[in-house]
Amino acid sequence: MMAEKLDLNTLVEDHRVHRRIYTEPQVFALEMERIFESGWVFLGHDSEVAAAGDFKQVRFGSQPAIMTRDEDGAIQVLMNRCMHRGATICQEERGNARHFRCWYHGWTYNGRGELVGLPYPGGYGKNFDRSRFSLIRAAKVANYRGLVFASLSADVEELPDYLGKARYYIDLFMDLSPQGAVEARAGTHKYGYDGNWKFQMENGVDGYHANFVHQAFFEIQGKRLGRRVMKLFNETSPLESKDLGHGHSLLDTAPRRSSPRLVSNILRGQVPAEIGDAYVQSLVARNGEARAAEILAASNVNLAVFPNLLIIGIQLRNVIPISFNRTEVFLTPTTLCGVHEAINVARLRAHEAFYGPAGGGAPDDVEMFNRCQAGLAVKGAEWLELSRGLERETVGEDGVIAAHLTDEVPQRAFYKRWREIMCGVATAARPSVTLAAAGS
Amino acid sequence: MATLSRSAVEDLLYAEALILDERRYDAWLAMLTADAIYWIPSNGPGRDPTREIAIVYDDFERLSDRVRRLESGLAHAQSPPSQTRRLIGNVTVAEAQDNAMSIGSNFLLYHLRRGRERIFAGRYEHRLRCVEGVWKIAAKKVVLVNNDEVIDNLTFIV
Repeated sequence: MMAEKLDLNTLVEDHRVHRRIYTEPQVFALEMERIFESGWVFLGHDSEVAAAGDFKQVRFGSQPAIMTRDEDGAIQVLMNRCMHRGATICQEERGNARHFRCWYHGWTYNGRGELVGLPYPGGYGKNFDRSRFSLIRAAKVANYRGLVFASLSADVEELPDYLGKARYYIDLFMDLSPQGAVEARAGTHKYGYDGNWKFQMENGVDGYHANFVHQAFFEIQGKRLGRRVMKLFNETSPLESKDLGHGHSLLDTAPRRSSPRLVSNILRGQVPAEIGDAYVQSLVARNGEARAAEILAASNVNLAVFPNLLIIGIQLRNVIPISFNRTEVFLTPTTLCGVHEAINVARLRAHEAFYGPAGGGAPDDVEMFNRCQAGLAVKGAEWLELSRGLERETVGEDGVIAAHLTDEVPQRAFYKRWREIMCGVATAARPSVTLAAAGS
Repeated sequence: MATLSRSAVEDLLYAEALILDERRYDAWLAMLTADAIYWIPSNGPGRDPTREIAIVYDDFERLSDRVRRLESGLAHAQSPPSQTRRLIGNVTVAEAQDNAMSIGSNFLLYHLRRGRERIFAGRYEHRLRCVEGVWKIAAKKVVLVNNDEVIDNLTFIV
């Protein structure tokens, strides 16, 4: 077996990426270590663990963990591994528990991960220190407007700083509720594909693919609604793609925020007029007319938060890497607090039309991820081209890079961050990794 | 009282299964009432679609759009298409009223696409209604055993 030194830094350039970032197990292993086990990772929404004892299983890459609310109301993130002999201590995907018990030998932990039950303790010496056997906890757990992130490393920026300019768009998403809060308790769509996790992160903020992958959906829906949906995604579209910094990016489908038309795209025609009007008035009452228009206009943005969160439509989309060629994706739809039930029903039905394993849109995207992974087995064509719009980017006063909606600004934003983390561009040393030569 | 015998109900379910396995979607739509609902719950048995996301919750209009998309040649997740064969059994008549019946059945669905074989299993709950002398499907609920698991592609009609 031949081995070669491969410089990760040579796999990502400013306008193209090498196929091996999708096809090499060793690159995937380093991504888990340097991205998913060393930085902020999105885990879920705090309403999923609303009451003390509520828990939900989560993952840091391939490592299983538990997000739970302790008796004091704090969200804890505990690794799902008994400190005795290694068995997982939590078996249910969701539930409510005062304690987590490992049923192999009965070791029992409380919601803060402390070892509170040790069967037949006489077998351990007098100096046995239980406190050394607390579950491993995430070094940092933070909540921004209900979004729960955690990091296994303490060496990270504070979450609001990390989110940076993405916070503005997260705020818009949450402020669609007249109480400024959403819930994520209406279930989850779960799908998977035989491809690399980055395909989904690229695609969630890709404005170029829409008129091709989703042509049939747009044409049929457009005919039904009497709208030309594809105009939004063609060359003359006024909409923009944006690099928000930190690897976060956006398809800004509502750049004209001063639009006086207080209509949510998601709700158009889906709820009785009086319910829609009352909803709009409740937003105006809380936010003022200008801000309410801004919130409603932004109800269709696609936001990517590095590394694993997409906010699209009504959903929080969690991208879960399983291996270099296998990914699972959990879409959790949100409902708005403080609105008429009909509005949340309309949101759920609108989501189902396009998303989930049987939706009219998302499965066609997933099909492309499978095709990409299969196509990247071809050697000789080593690069994936991400240069679209490179020459028409503008940089705003706030540092936000923008170009046309169909341009590959978000993908370049993602890989800029990827390269910083994977290659440590801040340091002089470029870490190398020994890769088994392909085909050996 | 106009009801169907169990064997007549089975004939109807078998006819539907054959139509779906052969992907004759317009023929399937013709088996439905104009107010039909096609429902595949997510994450469990499907209690209240006003509070839960479903994998599919289509009324007839949305179902017609779904079929048109599947037949457009541009439904990429069905290119190539799913090949299926389904077996239906354990048919029970849960309720029989004049011109309306509720039917339960188990199904086992073999699925092949791009050389990958999958098996889906679950329970069908059909609501049948007699419209001008013809028994039609007024509601079809599909409770998949694996509806709380990761499903790669469910874009065929189950």
